[in-house]
Amino acid sequence: MNQHAIMVNNLRYRYGNLVAVDNISFQVNTQEILGFLGPNGAGKSTTVKLLTGQLRLQEGQVTILGRDITRELKKIQSEMGICFEQPNLYEQMTAMENLELFARLFNVKNFDGYSLLKKVGLEGKEKEKVVNYSKGMKQRLMVARALVNSPRILFLDEPTSGLDPVSAESIRNLILKERERGATVFLTTHDMWEADKLCNRVAFINQGKIVAIDTPHNLKQAYGQRLLVAEVVRNGNLEKRTIILDQPDTARMVQELFRNERVITVHSQEATLEDIFIQITGRRLTE
Amino acid sequence: MNARLTTTLIKKDLTLFVRDRFYFLITVIGLILYVVIYWIMPANVDEELEIALFIPEQQQSGTFLDTEHGIKVTMFSTEDALQEAIKQSKYSAGVVIPEDFLSLIATGQKPRVTLYFSPQSSEELREAIKAMISRAAFMTSGIEDKIELKTEIIGNDMIGRQIPLRDRFIPLLLIAILGTEVLSLASLISTELTQNTVSAILATPVKLSHLLSAKAIMGMTMAFCQTVLFMLIIRGFSHEPLAVFMSLLLGSTLITGLGFLVAAMARDMMGVTSWGMIMFVIFVIPAIGTLFPGLISDWAKVLPSYHLIDAVSKLVSYHASFAEIKGDYFIMLGWSAVSTTAGVLTLRRRYR
Repeated sequence: MNQHAIMVNNLRYRYGNLVAVDNISFQVNTQEILGFLGPNGAGKSTTVKLLTGQLRLQEGQVTILGRDITRELKKIQSEMGICFEQPNLYEQMTAMENLELFARLFNVKNFDGYSLLKKVGLEGKEKEKVVNYSKGMKQRLMVARALVNSPRILFLDEPTSGLDPVSAESIRNLILKERERGATVFLTTHDMWEADKLCNRVAFINQGKIVAIDTPHNLKQAYGQRLLVAEVVRNGNLEKRTIILDQPDTARMVQELFRNERVITVHSQEATLEDIFIQITGRRLTE
Repeated sequence: MNARLTTTLIKKDLTLFVRDRFYFLITVIGLILYVVIYWIMPANVDEELEIALFIPEQQQSGTFLDTEHGIKVTMFSTEDALQEAIKQSKYSAGVVIPEDFLSLIATGQKPRVTLYFSPQSSEELREAIKAMISRAAFMTSGIEDKIELKTEIIGNDMIGRQIPLRDRFIPLLLIAILGTEVLSLASLISTELTQNTVSAILATPVKLSHLLSAKAIMGMTMAFCQTVLFMLIIRGFSHEPLAVFMSLLLGSTLITGLGFLVAAMARDMMGVTSWGMIMFVIFVIPAIGTLFPGLISDWAKVLPSYHLIDAVSKLVSYHASFAEIKGDYFIMLGWSAVSTTAGVLTLRRRYR
């Protein structure tokens, strides 16, 4: 079995004169969750569209599950589940009808829509027309639809966007279960905390190029700074003091802090993926 | 073509069609309305007798009305103008009195009076006009059989086949049904594009060819079933049923291609309505020609709907044979191929 579920080589895509994806190469291992992070317009959605066959390749090669996407797209798509960024459900149909339609298209035998809807917290709502669903409910149904064919590759474009914290957490748990089942997950998200928690590796994409790709831990090691953040009281006011750890004079600075200030709280702080993204690209993810 | 995938997509489209209250209601209500319109229209012909007259020595022109006998006589200044008016079915009959009419009668010779009739004029009318002219000659000369009558039918002689108003409405009502289907199909496709459900469908084993086939089958079936139902209710299959079926099938194919074109051109529902209405107006022109003979010129023959209307009209109203309308079929087939190809190609571009 090929270790790489997705292999991308020298992928480039232009919309007229605008280069949306600029010569990117990466691999996603089987049963891995790869987080694809970048601000709006960085090339995330174009990459997803190219990998899922929604856009035709202009330059480069894409191999998914050992098959060339230009030659065996339909075979690949039969093993793929996609949760689109914007809800694109049949709104005049019920949730169950939506799922059953896709189950028939994927030729799923003995399809159990109820248990799938239960997984995403939509039990009891299966006979309601989607047009009456809230944004969060539609998002959960989109995730359920992506799982109809028990895909080997799962593309999730902002799957927790617009969800309340409890629903978002249930979707994250579902993604982890899918990985345990054997699925490979390609996840795009703006939520750094989510990426940190879920992803085996993350790729930072900026202006169509992958500027970094590694595990969150390695990225933090390579680019991030560990900090000691203390709250102190001075002249009756609460103030914050920050000391960079792992520096030659860190020990002296900590001693001075405790000697000279009235310290109320103290805790260590790791760099976030957002901090690292800013450090690498000079841009914020939520721009 | 994968039958399972296509059938699944057709079922989905049917579900969405039925749940689209607007198009579902106008389809059902429209069909009922068209049948009602047909049945409330007069089934018999009751027309004022309009005669065109040309007398070379008489330079005057104008209209003289004999209200007592329901006869309207219009004087023409040339025989060509009279012939053209009869050709356009503006008059039931035309009478051309020769220049030397009176002198020939006076010298005992038989003047020749030419009578022109439109194809729609009845045999009774033709006999009545002949009798009227003979009577006028007798009153002038006092001798029977004093004139020679020459009769000419301008256009195809369809004696005894004048069309009741409600039968003249059939093509218009059929076009209304087909026009509604163009809008309905285009709306279904356009909604799929604007809501981007098409991306979700095409990210499954479904190919674009499956999707387009399903839409084409759905559009054709909907249009065909409705037109067949309408024709069944109004007893439109009494003559050459297979030929009528064939006409409706080709008409349904034609509108499916147009539905694709409208959907490809429109960006949203407003676009569907606007483009759909333009198509509908163009389609309806030949049907108006059937309703008001002589109103539409020959250029209407270039419109895609002309040959559908011509075929149906000849079959239903004039009981034409299959052979008489096969020319219409070939042209309809050509138009169907053109509209379907153009529709599929433009939609392919939109889907991609």
